[in-house]
Amino acid sequence: MNDDIACPGCDLIVNVSALQQGQSASCPRCGHFLTRMRNGAFDRIIAFAVAGLVFLALSLAYPFLSFSSSGFESVMTLPQTPGTLWGYGMPEIALVVSAFIIVIPAVVLVMILSLCVPLRQRRHTSLLAPLARGIFTLQTWAMVEVFIIGVIVALTKIAALATVVVGFSFWAYALFAVCFIVSVANLDRYQCWQLIEALGVKS
Amino acid sequence: MSKAETGASRGLATCHLCYKLAPADLHRCPRCGTALHLRKNDSIQRTLALLFTACLLYIPANMYPIMYTDQLGSETASTILGGVVLLIDLDSIPVAAVIFMFSVMVPSGKLMAIFYLVWTAERHSRLNPRQRSIMYRITEFVGKWSMVDVFVVSILVTLVHLNGLLVIRPGVAALSFAGVVIMTMLAAESFDPRLIWDNMEDTDNDG
Repeated sequence: MNDDIACPGCDLIVNVSALQQGQSASCPRCGHFLTRMRNGAFDRIIAFAVAGLVFLALSLAYPFLSFSSSGFESVMTLPQTPGTLWGYGMPEIALVVSAFIIVIPAVVLVMILSLCVPLRQRRHTSLLAPLARGIFTLQTWAMVEVFIIGVIVALTKIAALATVVVGFSFWAYALFAVCFIVSVANLDRYQCWQLIEALGVKS
Repeated sequence: MSKAETGASRGLATCHLCYKLAPADLHRCPRCGTALHLRKNDSIQRTLALLFTACLLYIPANMYPIMYTDQLGSETASTILGGVVLLIDLDSIPVAAVIFMFSVMVPSGKLMAIFYLVWTAERHSRLNPRQRSIMYRITEFVGKWSMVDVFVVSILVTLVHLNGLLVIRPGVAALSFAGVVIMTMLAAESFDPRLIWDNMEDTDNDG
């Protein structure tokens, strides 16, 4: 198979056929990352994707933060966030926030699973290409790590007004964020598409 | 200087989605089916249009309150910059620095960086292409981090609603600011970094 890549950052043609296991290639001219060869990446991707989905499910079910002031208490769960924003007349923010922190990351993980399980078994299905297209289109719009920073800032802001307790869901979401990032980072765009193409030719 | 061999010089286009190299006249990537172009379509015009939209949204995002705090009947409105000042008053300097960086420096820096990249690409500048490539990658990377403030407001609004005692409500700036972040992310995506390097080859072609 042809191992030429035209660097997406500067269009320089780079041949990556000499790449060994565990090595990665960057463009010699502009420095753009190109690809990384890694055996067994699929095991890791699948493991972290499954764990991520479990942690996400847990984080949706339990209290995320609770807050008390002068004897009154209020508890929030993650799924309440879009509803509350909608109630304040901001449906756009409600949709954008729930898409960036829950829906898109969850969809990406489910698609990663349905892509990587057949790829790991070197099995061709007609869904491989559409799934990979979806993953690489959507992954820029997942903002799980940004949301974690947002929670920490929010905690600091209200710590002065009241007592805030971090709930079980927060820790579940934090673990979900870690799993999501590891899973996505292990899926190499170039290697993944080369494999999909090779499987398509064979079958 | 020997001429660098590029996809374009071989008449090959890279699929922006799957990195497949294919003849530029195919119009669709033979591997994944995405639209195939030698360079992103109307990159400069689209990027500029999105940038101007972002600049317009940036004005209400900073002028109007991003959230209101109703404490025992008295209402306090806070803007993005006001939030930073509040955090400094609370002695949370590190968090104030984080918010200042993501909500003030990153969005304005990003607008300027993309303007600079578009301007130099349009003028066929041959100045420090590698540095401009790095600048582009940083711009692309930091894009989503500006959403922090929108998430902070979303969490506070959901968490704090003790009626009559303490209620936090979202302000219009949250919406305009989310707009700024999304527009600048789209602008960074529509800019084609290969334009930075194309000028280097134009002059090499003379021979």
